[in-house]
Parts: sequence; C-alpha cells; structure tokens
Amino acid sequence: MKRNLSILLASLLVIAGAVLAIGARAEGEVPAPPAIGATIDDFTLPDVDNKDHSLKSLAGKNGTVLLFIAVQCPVSNAYNERMEKLAADYKAKGIAVIGINSNVAEDAAAVKAHAAEHKLTFPILKDSGNKIADKLGASVTPEAYFIDMNNKLLYHGRIDNSRNSAQVETSDLRNALDAALANKAVEKTEAKAFGCSIKRS
Amino acid sequence: MRFTKAIVPITLCLLLACFAVPAQKKKGRTAEQHSKPIVVSAIDNDALKALLTQQRERPLLVNFWATYCDPCRDEFPDLVKIDKEYRPQSLEFVTVSLDDMTDIKTGVPKFLSDMKATMPAYLLNTTDPEPAINMVDQRWRGDLPATFLYNEKGEVVYKHIGRINPAELREAIDKVVKKGS
Repeated sequence: MKRNLSILLASLLVIAGAVLAIGARAEGEVPAPPAIGATIDDFTLPDVDNKDHSLKSLAGKNGTVLLFIAVQCPVSNAYNERMEKLAADYKAKGIAVIGINSNVAEDAAAVKAHAAEHKLTFPILKDSGNKIADKLGASVTPEAYFIDMNNKLLYHGRIDNSRNSAQVETSDLRNALDAALANKAVEKTEAKAFGCSIKRS
Repeated sequence: MRFTKAIVPITLCLLLACFAVPAQKKKGRTAEQHSKPIVVSAIDNDALKALLTQQRERPLLVNFWATYCDPCRDEFPDLVKIDKEYRPQSLEFVTVSLDDMTDIKTGVPKFLSDMKATMPAYLLNTTDPEPAINMVDQRWRGDLPATFLYNEKGEVVYKHIGRINPAELREAIDKVVKKGS
C-alpha cells in the first residue's frame, strides 16, 4: 500500500515537473510573423463595447493598418498622438487604421477609458487570448502591419524610428503607405518594432 | 527566589540589547559607506559594437532591458544574483538599457539602485535602435529582455530572448568561465 502511494506521488511529481517545464519554455516565445507578401486571413474581434467586427468590415479600400497597442505601455503611449494623426491623415486616402489590444491584463473597459482619455478615434479591438497577436507574430506594442486591399502583407514593424517624436527621422510606416498609394513597391518592408512586450495569456 | 529567577532573563536581555544596538549601528554605517550612486553611461551604436565584438580576457554577459519592460524588471533580481555569483569567477556583466535618454539620470539609475545592481550600466544613445539591434543579432526582433553571452573572442555562445531561465543561463556561463581564476 505504502509502495503504491510512493509510486503515485512520484508519478504526480514527474507530471507536475513536466507541466512546469513546458510552461517555462513557452514563456517569452512568440510565433513567427507571416512573411511579407503573405495573405492575412480575415478575422473577427469584438470592439471595446463587445460588438464584433470582421477585418473585412473595417478594411479601407486602399488597405488597412493593424496596430498592436497598449493601455499602460509608455512606448505605445508615446505614439498615441502620432497614431491618431496617422489614422486621420490616411482615412481620406482610403487606408483604415485598426488598433488591437492583446494584453491580458488590459480589459475592454480599460481600453475604452484609455482611448477616450487620449482621444483615439480609430476602432480598437480586444484580442482576448491573444489569438490574432499569435497569428500575426506580434511581440511588442506598438507594432504595425500594413496590408493591401487584398489582405497582402506589405509592411511589418515599427511606426517610425523613435519613441521621442522630436527625434523622428524615418517614418517607415508612412513611407510604406505612401508607396502603396502611389502604386510603387514598398522599399523597406520590415523595420524592427520596439516597445513593451505583449502580455499574453 | 522569585526575584532571582526573574533577574537572570532580564540581565540576559539587557546584555543582548547592549551588543545588538552597536551591531545595528555598525551595519547601517557599513551599508552607507558601500552605497555609491549608480552611474548610467550613454553608449552609441559604434561604441556598443566595439564593446561586444572586441577580444577580451573574460567572457561577457550582456542584458538588454528597459524600465518599461515588465519581464525585464521581473528577471533583474536573478541577474543581480548571477553577477554577484560569477563576477569573482571572471565573468564580465554589463546591462544596456533601451530607455529614452531622458531617463538616464532618473528612472534607469533609480531602478538599478533599487535592485542593488552593481554591474556597469549603459543606455543606448541613438535616435534609431534598429542598427544596434541588427548588429547584435540579425534574428533578434528587438523585443526585451534579451540576453547574450560572448566568449573571449567576442563570439555569441548563448542567447535568450525573453525572461531568462536562471538555471539555463548558469549552465551556459559555467561552460565559459574559468573557475577559480
């Protein structure tokens, strides 16, 4: 009886160890992003009022920018004005901007309050369970993906070179949008995004 | 008799208190004497490249981090322990913050001081972090924290993106440090 109990306890310990080890390995690992030129599948996510929207329903006629953003990240927050201006500037040109919040600790109510406080008027979707962040391999906030009207990925990465708006020298995302609008190939299709890591569930 | 019984523990307590008070004072003084203000040095892309790739006498561990990065903050106590443990065994350890330059005298040294971190601390002074990220590792996407271990020849022998696993990092360091040197 005692021997059976020991075997059972030992087995449970081994199982617990294995579970912990798998958990530890998974931490910090972000799936690889799709390659430039890949097609992004349509998806549906709720907005901050829990109303579902598909990517297709929000897409611009000349393309769409998906911006992974955060409530608490100081880097993402340093870009609030720039993101709002980007959305306003390109709305008239047929490119839509959609914000996505995938942080596990930031619920829809927090995202809604943050958008109101910082006057963010573009739609922001709540990616609970970070499904879309995983699908797109998004690792930080802010991180941008620009897709054309056929959902083909044209640009992935940072918005520009500096968190500090006074030090912006290269507006990589705007350059990509302008190239696409002018029917030209995007010169720089990737620029490493920097910011706070997305807190996954 | 009752008085005698009571006086023994009282005397013992008083004696202990006499020893304890100066010991506490001494401890406080020592801590003050050793607490130097933390200086964070600005480092540009070229200086960072030189620091990482030069030949050196000891292996070098580099941790890229930022005060706004939660996993960076979470792993820092483990990094401080590793520094204290391996510095006597000839490991150099530097930290490179990717915070804004405006944080070089405020948020960054404050955090390092709170962590009691004594390894040399740098802050990447650049308007564009991408060349530095690519120089360190083409496959690193710039997400933090990121930890790299270089051997004496300036070659990367271990890297980890995301929060470190202290046991795994120790194992990697053990392979390159010369014990007892």
